[in-house]
Amino acid sequence: MRPALAASLRLLDGITQGLNVLGSVLILALMVLVGVDVAGRNLMGAPVAGVPELVTLSIVAIVFLQIPQALRAGRLTRSDALPQWLARTRPGLGRWLETLFDLISMAVVWVIVSTTWPIFTRAWERGEFIGAMGDFTAPTWPVKLTILVGGTMLTLQFAARILRRWVVLPASPSDGEGAH
Amino acid sequence: MTPFEIGLIALAAMFVTVLAGLFVPIALMVCSFVGVWAIKGSPLLASKLMALAANDAISSYFFGVVPLFVLMGFIVAEAGLGRDAFDVANAMFRRLRGGLGVGTVGANAIFAAITGISIASAAVFTKIAVPQMIRHGYTPRFAVGVVAGSSVLGMMIPPSLLLILYGILTEQSIGDLFIAGIGPGLLLAVFFAAGIVLMAIFTPGFVGRPEGAPEALPPRVLLAKGLPIASLIVLVLGGIYGGLFTPVEAGAVGAIGALLIGFALRRLTLAGLWRVLVETGLVTATVCFLIIAAQMYSRMLALSGVPAGLGAWAAGADLGFWGLMILYVLIVIALGMILDSSSIMLILVPLMLPVVVPMGVDLVWFGIVTVLAVEIGLLTPPFGISVYVIKATLDDPTITLADIFKGAAPFALIMLAVLALVIVFPVIAIGLVPGR
Repeated sequence: MRPALAASLRLLDGITQGLNVLGSVLILALMVLVGVDVAGRNLMGAPVAGVPELVTLSIVAIVFLQIPQALRAGRLTRSDALPQWLARTRPGLGRWLETLFDLISMAVVWVIVSTTWPIFTRAWERGEFIGAMGDFTAPTWPVKLTILVGGTMLTLQFAARILRRWVVLPASPSDGEGAH
Repeated sequence: MTPFEIGLIALAAMFVTVLAGLFVPIALMVCSFVGVWAIKGSPLLASKLMALAANDAISSYFFGVVPLFVLMGFIVAEAGLGRDAFDVANAMFRRLRGGLGVGTVGANAIFAAITGISIASAAVFTKIAVPQMIRHGYTPRFAVGVVAGSSVLGMMIPPSLLLILYGILTEQSIGDLFIAGIGPGLLLAVFFAAGIVLMAIFTPGFVGRPEGAPEALPPRVLLAKGLPIASLIVLVLGGIYGGLFTPVEAGAVGAIGALLIGFALRRLTLAGLWRVLVETGLVTATVCFLIIAAQMYSRMLALSGVPAGLGAWAAGADLGFWGLMILYVLIVIALGMILDSSSIMLILVPLMLPVVVPMGVDLVWFGIVTVLAVEIGLLTPPFGISVYVIKATLDDPTITLADIFKGAAPFALIMLAVLALVIVFPVIAIGLVPGR
């Protein structure tokens, strides 16, 4: 049971990192795209069609692809004065509070994911796009998909925080409680 | 309950949960969800509002360039242009008392003209300036304080990510905001430098006993170090005001320019570039996720009528312009103690706009005041993000967080003085802006 749990947590982290890599590649692509647009407009008098549309779409994808890794890396913004004080003085209470926070986070992210699902299916079935017909168009469903995937992974990463806190850490005497 | 009361409760709940340590974006999302549910009586409507915000809040060309500005800052740092700026500035100020401190401020001012984020400056100069200053006899506390204080220049001197954010929130011209940032930014740098010289003369116990000026650089070396930075500044700022590209596109052009310079000088490796890309991704995701949450929250507040009610209250309460500004600055600085700069701006600015617009306040000037006040929060405990970055970069257990906060305190006071000047004399900010 326990090795299986450890393996699935590793798999979760692996996928999270994969999404992170994808997002980083997108940022690089964005830089090149805007650069080519500026150069094309000034040097050849020919802007690249669809750059604003592509930038508009990819920023959403970049954020949702990377936010699970941001949580995993401990980068999500919070004020940790009280949690740190609790962990020092009342570790038991601190763990319950953190778990409550993780459960709230899972619930609220899940609301977003489940409400985005119909938006995704509609974009897929109707072939929704942005841009102007005949000039440049891009389908919007891939971006909706990244919200679904990123949101789901974010929910799972919150769940993993609870598992690590209660199941993985206390059971491994080698690195004891309170070690990180 | 009236929507107005629900809005106030949601506001209070947000402050309490954030203080208790709930992730800031999550706290904003939960309060918006429950708030809209209570106002409209429909959980379905509330979840739709959330999903819509997630799908389109940042889906615009303006937000698309946020990662490019972050990337530019990190590439410039990775390519070693920070060290070059430091060497050049030191060569200029080497004869002054406290010259290395002044040099750090000068280098930060130069560096700020090619980056738009304070944390890039804080990380770079912790590595470069702190060891050098300690070696020359400055106290560690003062050395880290100088770096923490001068890192805020990164957000004030254009290009600046915070000013872009403010421009998007209030629909002000980002170009105008950039111009308005120049005056206060330079004033801040001059005040910092003067403060360092005065402290070196009058409080040697705090500053330490600096000995031996750094070596003078031959003109040829100075040119070699100064040219890459100068050309990048000319490329970014010249391109914006020469009309070659928009301030929004400047991030991409600057990043490409820094990339080319880095590779040409053989200082940037592919591994380094990858590390920087991943870091950029994490910063972007954190900031933009926060923006999404803040959009949900401001849509909820708009439904509740709290901002309009607050505006009516401020108009009726006879606080007057000065009372309002003082109250606002106090709230911003207090929030700065527990939140990071973008959160504060995203939470407060939508709340304040309906209050200040009827008073005929210049929104460009108001943006500069906001960013200055917000940046003071970067230096105040317990949540001074610059200070945490320095601590993390320093990796030296003998210098504690408290040391850095104490070292930065004089600089926070100087910022307060500059903020007061900008409030009393708006011309410092908007004097250069055309058409004002």
